[in-house]
Amino acid sequence: MTTIDPARTELQPSEPPPQRRSTGTRATRLVGIGCITAMGWLVAFGLGFSPADRDQKESVRILYVHVPTIWLAYLAFVVTAVSSGLYLLTKKQSLGWDRVAGASAEIGVAFVAVTLAVGSLWGRLTWGVFWQWDARLTTTALLFVTYIGYLAVRRLGGSHQQRAKRSAVLGMIAVIEIPLVHFSVKMWRSLHQEATVANLDGDTKMDGIMLFSLFVGVIAFTFLYVWLMLHRTRAMAMEDMLEDRGLDDALIARRAEAANQQNGAH
Amino acid sequence: MNTPESIPTTSNDGSDMDLSPRTNVDGTAVGVKRKRNVVPLIVLAMVFVAGGVIVTQFLTSAVDYYCNVDEVGVRDGCDGDRRIRLQGTVDKGSVDIANGVTAFTISFNGEHLPVRYEGQPGGIFRECLPVVVHGVIDNGALLGDRVEVRHSDEYVSVNDERVADAQDLGCDAGSA
Repeated sequence: MTTIDPARTELQPSEPPPQRRSTGTRATRLVGIGCITAMGWLVAFGLGFSPADRDQKESVRILYVHVPTIWLAYLAFVVTAVSSGLYLLTKKQSLGWDRVAGASAEIGVAFVAVTLAVGSLWGRLTWGVFWQWDARLTTTALLFVTYIGYLAVRRLGGSHQQRAKRSAVLGMIAVIEIPLVHFSVKMWRSLHQEATVANLDGDTKMDGIMLFSLFVGVIAFTFLYVWLMLHRTRAMAMEDMLEDRGLDDALIARRAEAANQQNGAH
Repeated sequence: MNTPESIPTTSNDGSDMDLSPRTNVDGTAVGVKRKRNVVPLIVLAMVFVAGGVIVTQFLTSAVDYYCNVDEVGVRDGCDGDRRIRLQGTVDKGSVDIANGVTAFTISFNGEHLPVRYEGQPGGIFRECLPVVVHGVIDNGALLGDRVEVRHSDEYVSVNDERVADAQDLGCDAGSA
């Protein structure tokens, strides 16, 4: 909450106009350049240097977006859970942690949406169907819907602290879905194949350049995640400040009204 | 004040204070309106509905997506007298497409089952790859109405010199 001067009832003409603020800094620009460069590498390796697959042919290239986006979504949701925990468990209960949690969840939801969209295209080309209710697809859809619910809870209204508390609890509970999604192909028979890289037996059955292209994809989407996080957390801080300022302005207007009434009465 | 019925009271210093509720000319209340934001509530309701649909569909599909060919009539939930999803590898040289019907044989753990499918399977369907066929068993043959191709967790370059070996391995991977 910004500080209010009780004597101040209207903007003074001598006050300088408010500065234009942006979420960009030198650091975000550097991360942005890194992101664009890595995305360029991803396009070059994903569409150029990487070979077609023996069975999937060219559709294997979808993998270089499908897999990194879901891994980064997992990371985003873990960041949400950790930030939620830090908000709830620290004495200060800083809203900064709440904003990190919210921003990370938003980006995670966007990444899962990309995973599902490109995954369904891959499914049509490989399996012959866009979608099936098997264990992996169903649990991923559930993860997606859960975090949309989390974002809805964040917008239910109330004070910033109320928002932070209720969403932090949900953010810490929802993260348990991640191992369920990842190991669903191990626990149940699924149309979706088992993990090729992130498996427990450490045996990566993937061609070298394909694996490197996948690695480039992970780097590129990590840059994108960091860049989006920096901007979004700052934008959220500004939104909160704007809401507080709206309340301040309402109080100032009310005081001005009261002062006018008092002057009129005398 | 814009209310016709103000209630005058006296403050400690003797001056009149107007403590009547402020209203507009039309009688509606003045001040910050507490607008309830309904959009998140609608989204939450939709999330609950979507969650319910997903869980329902998942349970309908059963937790395990398919039965293997050698489990028909043996494993619980793999009864041969009802609609079933069967997984097996398409036998080499068994695919025959004629008059819009695709016939082939799938096998798993040494058990074989002929399949008859109206149409041409989509995806990367070919012999030596594992498939899941939806349908009913009639006279010892699976009458399929949907064929889905399973992909293994193996990614092999099309340029790999060992393609021929890998393809042979694919047909031997009946236990996938």
